[in-house]
Amino acid sequence: MLRITVDGTAYEVEEGLTLLQALDDLGVLMKGVDIPHYCWHPKLSIDGSCRMCQVEVEGVPKLQIACDTPVRDGMVVHTGNERVRKAREGVMELMLVNHPLDCPICDQAGECKLQDYAFDYGQMHTRTREPRRALKKRVDLGATIVFDQERCILCRRCVRFCREIPGTSELAITQRGDRSTVETFPGKPLENDYSMNVADICPVGALTTRDFRFKVRVWFLEEVPGICTGCSRGCNVHVGVADDQVRRYTPRRNDEVNDTWLCDYGRMTYQEIGAPDRISEPAVRGDAGQLVGTTLEQAVECAAQLMRTAVEKEGPGVVAALASAHATNEDLAALRGLLAALGSETHGVPIVTGPADALLIRPEKAANAEGARVAGFGEPGLLLDKIRGGGVRVLIVLGHDIIHEQFLGSPEALAALDGVILLDTHRSRLEQVAHVVIPARHLAEKGGTVTNFEGRVQAVPAALEPAFEAVAEAQVLARIASALDLSISDESERKRETD
Amino acid sequence: MGHRVPHVTHYLTEHFADPGYTTLSGYRAQGGYETARRVLAEQSPEEVIGTLKNAGLKGRGGAGFDAGLKWSFMPRDQAGPSYLVCNADESEPGSFKDRVLMERGPHQLLEGILIPAFATGAATTFLYIRGEYAEPARILQRAIDEATAGGVLGSNVLGTGFAHQVVLVRGAGAYICGEETGLLESLEGKKGQPRRKPPYPAECGAFGRPTTVNNVETFCHVPHVFARGVDWFRSIGTEESPGTTLFGVSGHVERPGLYELPLGTRLDEIIFEHAGGVPGGRKLKAAIPGGVSMPLLPAGHLDVPMANEFLREHGSSLGTGGVIVMDETTCMVRVGCVISEFFRDESCGQCTQCREGTGWLHKLMLRIERGGGTEADLDVLEDVAGKMEGQTICAFADAAAWPVQALLRHFRSEFLEHVRAEKCPFPESFEL
Ligand SMILES: Cc1cc2nc3c(=O)[nH]c(=O)nc-3n(C[C@H](O)[C@H](O)[C@H](O)COP(=O)(O)O)c2cc1C
Ligand code: SF4
Ligand code: SF4
Ligand code: SF4
Ligand code: FES
Repeated sequence: MLRITVDGTAYEVEEGLTLLQALDDLGVLMKGVDIPHYCWHPKLSIDGSCRMCQVEVEGVPKLQIACDTPVRDGMVVHTGNERVRKAREGVMELMLVNHPLDCPICDQAGECKLQDYAFDYGQMHTRTREPRRALKKRVDLGATIVFDQERCILCRRCVRFCREIPGTSELAITQRGDRSTVETFPGKPLENDYSMNVADICPVGALTTRDFRFKVRVWFLEEVPGICTGCSRGCNVHVGVADDQVRRYTPRRNDEVNDTWLCDYGRMTYQEIGAPDRISEPAVRGDAGQLVGTTLEQAVECAAQLMRTAVEKEGPGVVAALASAHATNEDLAALRGLLAALGSETHGVPIVTGPADALLIRPEKAANAEGARVAGFGEPGLLLDKIRGGGVRVLIVLGHDIIHEQFLGSPEALAALDGVILLDTHRSRLEQVAHVVIPARHLAEKGGTVTNFEGRVQAVPAALEPAFEAVAEAQVLARIASALDLSISDESERKRETD
Repeated sequence: MGHRVPHVTHYLTEHFADPGYTTLSGYRAQGGYETARRVLAEQSPEEVIGTLKNAGLKGRGGAGFDAGLKWSFMPRDQAGPSYLVCNADESEPGSFKDRVLMERGPHQLLEGILIPAFATGAATTFLYIRGEYAEPARILQRAIDEATAGGVLGSNVLGTGFAHQVVLVRGAGAYICGEETGLLESLEGKKGQPRRKPPYPAECGAFGRPTTVNNVETFCHVPHVFARGVDWFRSIGTEESPGTTLFGVSGHVERPGLYELPLGTRLDEIIFEHAGGVPGGRKLKAAIPGGVSMPLLPAGHLDVPMANEFLREHGSSLGTGGVIVMDETTCMVRVGCVISEFFRDESCGQCTQCREGTGWLHKLMLRIERGGGTEADLDVLEDVAGKMEGQTICAFADAAAWPVQALLRHFRSEFLEHVRAEKCPFPESFEL
């Protein structure tokens, strides 16, 4: 460990780091020690080109860029004195020479580093009377990203990202000098599984996702911590909520899980939350064989009745449950509790699998696959055999992953059951065979914990209320249990209190 | 050592009038490659470095760094190859000495490469030549081929057992590829953009290997240092800057051309005695001592000896020795326009100050020249140049800022004249 002094405060830092990296690792960068920076990004290689991060190092005649200055034992650094401020103002002024300053119509306004630092270090208007560089305002770099050439400050974060993280190198700076611009090679658009991250790391409003562009001004957006449910990585996200709707996911930094990235697929899973095919109303199958809308109380009662009848007729073993690996640990615990109280041991969790990569994307396409295993849920094979063999009369289904071709294939396989109790977020063909349908909450609507593939238990709060009446699955299950006069140890509630 | 060496003060160009000198046999006829053979056969690398350090040969590529010292930075104990690079990118307006050195004395350059190559243990020299130099490239390639066929280059250099190859690489037309790390990027097939330093090339240069980059002329001096000795070499030029150099004189002089003269020759002597002075009886107005990136000097300051230690006192530098002479008909704002246009065009564009500042300077210059400037613009010019200086990845931004600062320092009144008259007081000499 080395000792350095920054603005009069001593810090212990690790050898071999640059000043910015060391301060970032300590958690004080921009949170106590303000060294504005554009090109430096904690997860990308050093660029050293924006020249914004200059600081004074005692004993060194020239100002040094903090992003590329290794820490030395006994180093004394000044980050905010007159000389440093003047240098930053100089960089800011030059940076703004060609900037369109169209903040009022810029999507980045409110989370723009240029705007932020310009307030601190700039005249927002430079003294230039020269015409600004006129460039293209809307270039499609690929299917997901739109580029405003005029706003680009050429920090090369996006270029380095594509080269260093997905390794696809679609972006390059072409031309030189003040004609420089970001471009793709002809016929090779920005097209990788992580493309939208470039919009997050672009420090200005030059790169925007086609999805979020002009949707909401960021200051109307409430950002709540969440977890992506796209795979068992469990990437940390900010759930961006405005007008009671989730408008976007953006990465929430977690160096142990996802650094500062999200895959495009996972990022877009937020759309599931406000999707038009959400199950929004409890229903029970009526005498005419149709599903008829009802209240939650009646749906719960109906479910309890189906289970009661089956158990009375054929014993507790004929009630079984299939849960999706999207269910939280709390939901799964409640389900196990209910089954245990009934005396049934028949359950399974089907885990849909798909392509994976070496970066983030995991093969198990649900956030809580590992949590399900830890909770004792196994592969659904035995359960499916038992269903096919007639050994199950009533089935509780949590989530529709079961009708993935890997598992049940089609819902017909359940048609012979006396009761199919479906707790789900989204409509599916399972409704054709369900006797009771109860709307469920998405993770972002209920919060809770999920366990990622490495066994990391991650807790998130609810980010918003669903647009319809729905309670979390754990509570639905608890109500069914109480309708059956069973007591299930509600681990979910206890867990939540201790978190 | 009783014998007296003849006092040759144009040793680099002595045989340049002889067309045969470009061939291997012609070069050998003048004793060529004998020095290298003797040095490689008889001396240790340490001795060679020692001699070079004692010689005090300063790099001729612009920065004037001590060549022997630079070669001594090359690690000798590392496994794997190390490289020399001969910087033949010569793109500084006003400079054309390397071109002549390559066209007229390609073997002198190759011999000059072999000695430090041996001293640094380099396996290969990359000779990086600017793309526009098609003819010098052809001549050099022929010389390399001839030298290779003749056992001068290759696995057994001059029969000494030392192995060395020279690889000619042509650039694609960018001034910034003359900056040594921009060159290395380009050499590796990347966009020519200077690297952050450290690491310096001696540690991590071409293809990640220890590398030293030197100017064409720097190499060309080396055989002479060994042929005639350190004392002889140091007897030419000044204490701090020994040897001759090639002054390329262009602009308003009677006899533009290349003059090999001792370092420390006075600028006015070069202009008036060697280059014949200003034609048509017109008065001299200013001169740039060493290529456009060096601050110009007004007529009253031309009695300065052309060596860095003296030019420094005048706020300028020797640069590449490309002297550009301007007479009284020259509009200094136009000079500013032309120079700032060059830098705007050539900035690689990585650093904020350089990318944006070069464009801004050029726009300001143009506006003032066209009569649209204000007094405040002069302060902005100075201020922008100040903000570009000393804060960027490479020295290009300084090179772009200094000429502007010098113009304002020495010719502010002429800028003001443009502002007040709202037009250029000079007849338009060429289209901007
Ligand atoms: C913008 C810029 C352009 C340069 N162009 C050249 C060039 O064309 N030729 C050259 O030899 N050195 C050039 N240099 C200097 C090189 O970076 C380097 O210092 C030189 O090649 C070292 O050789 P020397 O030590 O033999 O002088 C340039 C430097 C800068 C900053
Ligand atoms: S588009 Fe954004 S991230 Fe990319 S270089 Fe420009 S400012 Fe930087
Ligand atoms: S890698 Fe997985 S968890 Fe991360 S964003 Fe993609 S789908 Fe979501
Ligand atoms: S100073 Fe100019 S030329 Fe040099 S690296 Fe920076 S932008 Fe490129
Ligand atoms: S953040 Fe250090 S130079 Fe850009």
